[in-house]
Amino acid sequence: MSSDNTRLRLSIVGIVVVSLFAALFARLWYLQVMDTGTFQALATQNRVRTVFEPAPRGRILDRQGRPLVENRGYQAVTVTRLDVKDKPEVVTRLAALLGLPRPELEKRIADPRYSPYKPVPVAEDVAEEVVVYLREHSTDFPGVEATAVAERTYPHGSLAAHVLGYVGEVNNEELDARKGGGYRLGDDIGKSGVERTFDLDLRGKAGTTRLEVDANGRVLLPALSSSPPVQGDDVQLTIDLDVQALAEDSLARGLEAARASHDRNTGKSFVAPAGSVVVLDPRDGSLLALASNPSYNPAEFVNGIRPEVYAILQDPVSRCPLCNRAIQGQYAPGSTFKLFTALAALRTGLIAPNTTFVDEGSYRIQNCRGEKCVFRNAGSQSYGRVNLPQALTVSSDAFFYNIGANLWFGGGPNRNAIQGAARDLGLGTRSGLDLGGEMRGRVPDPESRKKAHEDFPDKFPYGDWRAGDNVNLSIGQGDTAVTPLQLANAYAAFANGGSVLKPRVAARVLKPDGEPVREMVPESASKVVIDPVHRSAILQGLRSSIARPEGTGAGAFAGFPLDSFAVAGKTGTAQVVGKQDTAVFVAFAPADAPQYVVAVVMEESGFGGAVAAPVARRILDGLAGHPPAPVQLAAGMD
Amino acid sequence: MATTSVTGGASFSRRDGAAPWRHVDVTLLAGVAAIASLGVLMVYSASRNLGADEGYFLRRQAVFCLIGMGVMALVATVDYRIARDFAPVIYVASVVGLVLVLSPLGSNRRGAQAWFQLGGFQLQPSEPAKIGLIVCIAAYASHHRGDLNGRRMIGALALAAVPMLLIELQPDLGTMLVFAAILLATLLVAGARPRHMALLGLAGAVAVVAVFQLGLLKDYQKDRLGAFLNPTENTQKSAYNLNQSKIAIANGSLTGKGLFQGTQTKLAYVPEQHTDFIFTVVGEELGLAGSGLLLALFALVVWRTWRAAALAKDLCGTVICIGVLAMLVFQIFENVGMTMGIMPITGIPLPFMSYGGSATIATFAAIGLVLNVHMRRFS
Repeated sequence: MSSDNTRLRLSIVGIVVVSLFAALFARLWYLQVMDTGTFQALATQNRVRTVFEPAPRGRILDRQGRPLVENRGYQAVTVTRLDVKDKPEVVTRLAALLGLPRPELEKRIADPRYSPYKPVPVAEDVAEEVVVYLREHSTDFPGVEATAVAERTYPHGSLAAHVLGYVGEVNNEELDARKGGGYRLGDDIGKSGVERTFDLDLRGKAGTTRLEVDANGRVLLPALSSSPPVQGDDVQLTIDLDVQALAEDSLARGLEAARASHDRNTGKSFVAPAGSVVVLDPRDGSLLALASNPSYNPAEFVNGIRPEVYAILQDPVSRCPLCNRAIQGQYAPGSTFKLFTALAALRTGLIAPNTTFVDEGSYRIQNCRGEKCVFRNAGSQSYGRVNLPQALTVSSDAFFYNIGANLWFGGGPNRNAIQGAARDLGLGTRSGLDLGGEMRGRVPDPESRKKAHEDFPDKFPYGDWRAGDNVNLSIGQGDTAVTPLQLANAYAAFANGGSVLKPRVAARVLKPDGEPVREMVPESASKVVIDPVHRSAILQGLRSSIARPEGTGAGAFAGFPLDSFAVAGKTGTAQVVGKQDTAVFVAFAPADAPQYVVAVVMEESGFGGAVAAPVARRILDGLAGHPPAPVQLAAGMD
Repeated sequence: MATTSVTGGASFSRRDGAAPWRHVDVTLLAGVAAIASLGVLMVYSASRNLGADEGYFLRRQAVFCLIGMGVMALVATVDYRIARDFAPVIYVASVVGLVLVLSPLGSNRRGAQAWFQLGGFQLQPSEPAKIGLIVCIAAYASHHRGDLNGRRMIGALALAAVPMLLIELQPDLGTMLVFAAILLATLLVAGARPRHMALLGLAGAVAVVAVFQLGLLKDYQKDRLGAFLNPTENTQKSAYNLNQSKIAIANGSLTGKGLFQGTQTKLAYVPEQHTDFIFTVVGEELGLAGSGLLLALFALVVWRTWRAAALAKDLCGTVICIGVLAMLVFQIFENVGMTMGIMPITGIPLPFMSYGGSATIATFAAIGLVLNVHMRRFS
């Protein structure tokens, strides 16, 4: 039967059917042709799991190849928290296997130091039988794994902690900053020091295993591909373990001695809370020691630092043990700055090496109308008629006040000659040391004063640079600030005849088997022309300050065999508003062919000649091969 | 109606008994055979890794197909007009089956009280009930000679409402929707008044809104619908299922990953891939070439069914064929559509492809009805 009516109704059915099939075809076309790429990637993502095995980090060696940081390899049992969350029986079983009380195991699993991305180690140095048992009974222990672990160890404890730095789990900021660098959540990364700067060399390459996984998480063997972890390269430092140990020990002794001594200004003993030492080779800029006190033990950071330990490190009472004062501390250099003032005076022709000046113990600025027109020597002592070498030897302030004032009154470009000399030798800019976090210090001038006044009108009540400012600058006071490293590096440039070098702590990168990967070459940041006549006059002053009885450093070097190992140096005592004096001392030796520059800065410790110079002397004793003596505070000033 | 006494498929000695077999639709048979063969192969590919015995589902599905073909032959042999005359019996049997399955005699699997456990097999009475409904509506329409006034419309609706209600009690929304599709298509062709059809459409729309507004959906149904509307935002089971399903199909691209080579299939990422989501296996392993061919074969079968409806000797035959057509088209569109994310997920098998005895056999029986109508178009 087929009436017209039925035919019409059948047509309606036909049209509906055709359109439904058309819709299916269109959708099929879209998925399999237009959009296939996206989904193919998703399919791969679905089935392929990449398992990473962390590579042991490279070692850090000293100048002579002695390890400062090593790895300890052992078998650990780890637990993935999420996997055992609803399976108390697994925890019970594991506790029995490890021979631990259950509450203790639970406590270890809940250790707050571990991020959720990492399996939590619950047992270290596990016996081989336990490892084998766990592997054979893996179905009874979901989320439990026995893995080989390589952990940072520090055979010398906190030695050179600020140079070495510490390692921790990579955070989101670091991940963002290193996109494409192969860092993954849960990876270790160098957080400071050499560990940070040379992370790419040290980290090695994680082993990867690409596994095919079915919908139930079952792994299909064999693996699609796998590559073993590659241990990171070793970094050999220019730091010498013995010199570093000597520097740290001498600094600690010096601070202790300072704390036991009496401050005439305050009537109390010195606080001496912190200090730093730089020992560098002026010939190539390599650092032999870089010490900062107080310090910390980088081993505390292995496997994540305990919150209570970290809280102590961050407590202001601890005086920032994590800060590397040798490159981050910024101090008024005091009289050690006179080197730059002397150089400026000679370079501009303001004085000749034998120009004399009568030091009457104080200095009055001509035509001065202001709050401060008279500047005194330390202790108001007068030294009579002195030339430049003599002024450096006794550290006559008035001699340099006069230079500061006359350069200013002379006008013209020489007005800022002192700043020019300081900057030429590297002050006011980062030295470029291969450790992060270096501060740039400050060489003040009329422009920076104006800006400081605009930014902080309370602290800098006037915005113009006056003669008094130049007078203050001439002896390293005022707003002048240097890091101990800058000070050492500037003296190194003077010592080597004018090469401002880029200081460095790393000598070379080596494969674990000792094959060299790359060598760090000495780099010169800039070259300063120093007239030999000028250099010799200044050098004479620096040598006499150690060798002559009236020298400010002579007390500290009493009995030191200067004939065989001549030392040139300068003391400094910087006044800091509201604090005790900063003791500063810089020296280089041997004076005629310098191999070492030693800079010592000690906060709130008193006179440079009395406290800092004895610390440097003990280090130089060691460098010269003398037996180390106790640090003895010297009588003396400045 | 001369031939009323053919006793078996094996003997066609009597001339008038064998005559209809000369008009059998070989094209339709070939299409169905091709789809069912592909189905067996795909079930094998999808189920090889499911258990220890990799041929388990293969053998069972092959047996279901053989049984289905026997049933198809049987259904084709008995003149559909005899079936029409026995419609009340068929109807009562269907309803009794659906009532019994709700009793403790039936068993519950995955939240639906829909199966009889018979030894190693499960019988799903709602599958033969589809055929029952088709025959009954056809008989009812033919009884009223294509004149469905308001009262008769209500009668037809009441007729369908009983099994539909029983199925919703299991609950099995998908199968109930198949019934609704069959009802709608058969009533249209059986001569329902346009305004009644419009009213029915309106009532259907109201019912859909009411189901949502009154919270009549089960949680898993809401989950499935949510996954359909927002596949990326939802990490529920259904959204996972849908995403994996789309990944599998798109992963096949033009020519597919090759038989047994689909990673989604091999690694069992698509749940229910040997039953409701069998189309993903075709899509991934055989690509657009294979899945397009499958859709084309389905289109062929549907076309032959529609053609049988158009050529049928009487209204009863036409309505039967359209009932079968509605069943096939709705299941194909809903099933394939859900695997590709253009229809919400429901538990409806893909005809001749999804693993499952009751559905396979019932669908073969439905094709038997179409063959029956088609080969008796002259008698």
